[in-house]
Amino acid sequence: MPLRGTLRLSNAFLSLVVFSGLTTHPAQADEPKPKPENTITIQPELVPPQKFERPPKFWIADITDRSGNPQPLLVMKERGGVFLDKQPTAIMKDALEQSLKAANLLAADAASADLVLRVYLFHFGLASGSALDFFGKVEFSTMVKSPKTGESLEVQAIGTSIANGAMRKKNMQKNVEENIEAALRDATRNFLRGRQLKEAVATLAKGSDVVPAVAPAPVEPPKLRPR
Amino acid sequence: MRIFTAALVALMFAMGAAARPKDEAPQYKTAETKHFTTAEGVELSPAFVDYFYAELRNELTKAKLVKEVIGEGEGVEDADAPKSLVISGTVTEYKKGSVVKSSLIGFGAGLRSLKMDADVVRRSDNQNLCLIHVHVKIDPRWNEKVMAKGAAHEVVKEMKKALAEGAKPTTGEATKPS
Repeated sequence: MPLRGTLRLSNAFLSLVVFSGLTTHPAQADEPKPKPENTITIQPELVPPQKFERPPKFWIADITDRSGNPQPLLVMKERGGVFLDKQPTAIMKDALEQSLKAANLLAADAASADLVLRVYLFHFGLASGSALDFFGKVEFSTMVKSPKTGESLEVQAIGTSIANGAMRKKNMQKNVEENIEAALRDATRNFLRGRQLKEAVATLAKGSDVVPAVAPAPVEPPKLRPR
Repeated sequence: MRIFTAALVALMFAMGAAARPKDEAPQYKTAETKHFTTAEGVELSPAFVDYFYAELRNELTKAKLVKEVIGEGEGVEDADAPKSLVISGTVTEYKKGSVVKSSLIGFGAGLRSLKMDADVVRRSDNQNLCLIHVHVKIDPRWNEKVMAKGAAHEVVKEMKKALAEGAKPTTGEATKPS
């Protein structure tokens, strides 16, 4: 009887080893790893912002990733994967800062800023498309806050781009890179040239002229969106 | 002989380039596309609306109907407003279709279908320039995003036709079976 028990135990152990080998090894092999040849660099383009009556100085305080994506650097899982070289939040910050700086709308520091921006990034990269092409999407929401009054307003922006699919991996990577760059440019433009930002700047400027006796209740930042 | 052949080929190319009609400047400066809404009872995923928005902008850019396609909510210079368009619309009907019906009966039965209305207005005075009705049918095995692609293409095609004709209501119908 003890021998039978040992046999059963060894059988169970053997099957556990076999099954674990079967299930874990292919999954590990399929999991793409970032390498220099499958990593792309997104270069944000300068977007001229709209003209404001009284141009304010902006300061980007913080960019928070609210996409809920566990692997924000992984843009595409298929065919060995395509990775970003920087975190989407860092790329987004670069894009906004470069455009604001070029238009002389970026403050030197938080203390000298007229309006402070807190960006919540909901989507950065590829989204599910028709499988015939690549669908790039960048979506974010910004809380524009006046440090003088403490009042904040929300401004939403979205950028999309459609790029052709490709058979060769090299072309595919190039198309994905161009697609994300176009979507990022579109989203930055949508934010900087949007009517929402213009209205927010005008409203907050009015508010900062007359300082209220009681500070307004802070607006709740946007929550995580279901993907 | 080689020089003669090369010269002949170059001459043919030059003649072809000269015969090609020059690109006409677009009639309108900007077009703002809005996210289409869905009527009550239309069961489409939220991703469909986003994808359709992207496809519509892509098709408008390809069609060269306007100089610049701008995103939803973007501002336009006051001087450009009379030559700017705003496109909005609603998905009025969506039928999932049936693979069984499509395979057994055929002849258009069981196809996935989508109906949408699009309004094109002038930005400066909100005058309706054209009203487009589009009906797209595809094989039920195909992804709904393929349908979005077809619908966007059809909307732009009808829009181009309507704007060229001069603000007459048009109806477009497209069927894309497998």
